[in-house]
Amino acid sequence: MGLKNWFKESFPVDTVALITLTSEPIPNHLKRWWWGLGGTPLFMFIIQILTGLMLIFYYVPDPDKAYQSVEYITYTSKFGWLIRSIHRWASNIMIAALLLHMLRVFFTRTYRRPRELNWMFGVTLLLLTLFFGFTGYSLVYEQMSYWAMKVGTGIAGATPFIGPWLADFIRGGSEIGQNTLTRFFLFHIALLPFITLLFVGLHLYLIRTLGVSELKFPGDEKAKKKTYPLFPDHVYTEIIVVTLILILLVSLSLLFPAGLGEPADPSVTPLHIKPEWYFFPVFRWLKITNLNVGVLGPIIFIFLLYAWPFIDRLFEKKFPGKEITFWIGIAGFLTIMVFLVWEIFGH
Amino acid sequence: MDRRKVLKSVATFLPISAAFTGLAAMGVRFITPVKREINRKIFTVGLEELPLNATKRFKDLQGRDLMIVRTGEREVKAISTVCTHLGCTVFWQKDRQEFFCPCHNGSFDKNGLVIAGPPPAPLDLYPVEIEGDNVFVIFKDIKEV
Repeated sequence: MGLKNWFKESFPVDTVALITLTSEPIPNHLKRWWWGLGGTPLFMFIIQILTGLMLIFYYVPDPDKAYQSVEYITYTSKFGWLIRSIHRWASNIMIAALLLHMLRVFFTRTYRRPRELNWMFGVTLLLLTLFFGFTGYSLVYEQMSYWAMKVGTGIAGATPFIGPWLADFIRGGSEIGQNTLTRFFLFHIALLPFITLLFVGLHLYLIRTLGVSELKFPGDEKAKKKTYPLFPDHVYTEIIVVTLILILLVSLSLLFPAGLGEPADPSVTPLHIKPEWYFFPVFRWLKITNLNVGVLGPIIFIFLLYAWPFIDRLFEKKFPGKEITFWIGIAGFLTIMVFLVWEIFGH
Repeated sequence: MDRRKVLKSVATFLPISAAFTGLAAMGVRFITPVKREINRKIFTVGLEELPLNATKRFKDLQGRDLMIVRTGEREVKAISTVCTHLGCTVFWQKDRQEFFCPCHNGSFDKNGLVIAGPPPAPLDLYPVEIEGDNVFVIFKDIKEV
């Protein structure tokens, strides 16, 4: 028996099922690649797994050694600076792409029946990605990391009912220390990737079974076919997008490599402390509200995001054709942008 | 529905659910750290070293900063510098005679009372005992075991 036959016998492939799986009909609007931003976070996630695996070779999750290990990666190891920079920039691009994708889904209202659950999976993926970012920059154990952990676990501690338990659980005690770093490391490299992969799988499964919702553009009605195949047509589009993003990612990493701030000092909060840009709106919100409102605000916002497909349906029933979702979306988006810009330029 | 089938389902799933719930509860208990707290009375400063309105910095047993302020002839306050908003460290602004938290712009007066910003409560005070001319502060020794 030849090697080829042996392999065919040991690893049977159902070609009919494979063709069915890869020839999913894709609506024509996705030929305009900027409507297909959902694939970008997934690609960034793969980059994160690869670069993250490299970083684990040297990173030590110990308060006395974490900073030095990142210093070693950045300044001593071969190409460590580039791998860390790609990891850092990919996380930023992943979050930016996710936000843009969600804005697109929100404003085109493609979360409507029967895709409510998939929207909820998407919101979960956004929260998981933000938690990835938070745990990731905390691991560096520089000043910003330490105080971000302090504020982040403080917010968790102010959550109604379960707050104190939740904060102790995340920190692994009443103060930031060895247990905290061990837990953050575990969340970042094991728990979050596992849960994220699970939700990515569910998200893709529902996209596959429910199909991609169709958007109509002027001129589309002239097209003979309303769809085109996933393989190879759409895969080519994705390859082009991925290549462009890869160029952007490497350029950003080369031009603005990831730096390193002062090592964590638990006794001194820096005078000008700021989290990563994606937490700016929440950070500003916490400055202008009292603690209860400050913590309840984001919780309510998240709840509204999850429930939006159902709220939208209620609006549609009560005020048909008024486009209330659109105006609420614009108001919400502008409010978040105001908070973001305010935090960039304000103290 | 057939009664026998219902009973069979209940008999199968109830013990399995109970076992998994028990295991989950055990897991949650395991990952919640066990804490032990003991109060410790520690000498910090002599009154002769601390003139009226003067401050001195110390660290508690968790390494957090506190300020000892003499506010009267035989009155001393030990003020925690942990902001009651979200736990950042406040610092003393001598020129303004107030504590300031750089995280979310909270301000406290020299007694630790909130003047401005989002902090929900005054800065914590450590219990102080003055014996003779010696100032003792009662610290909580929290150990995660």
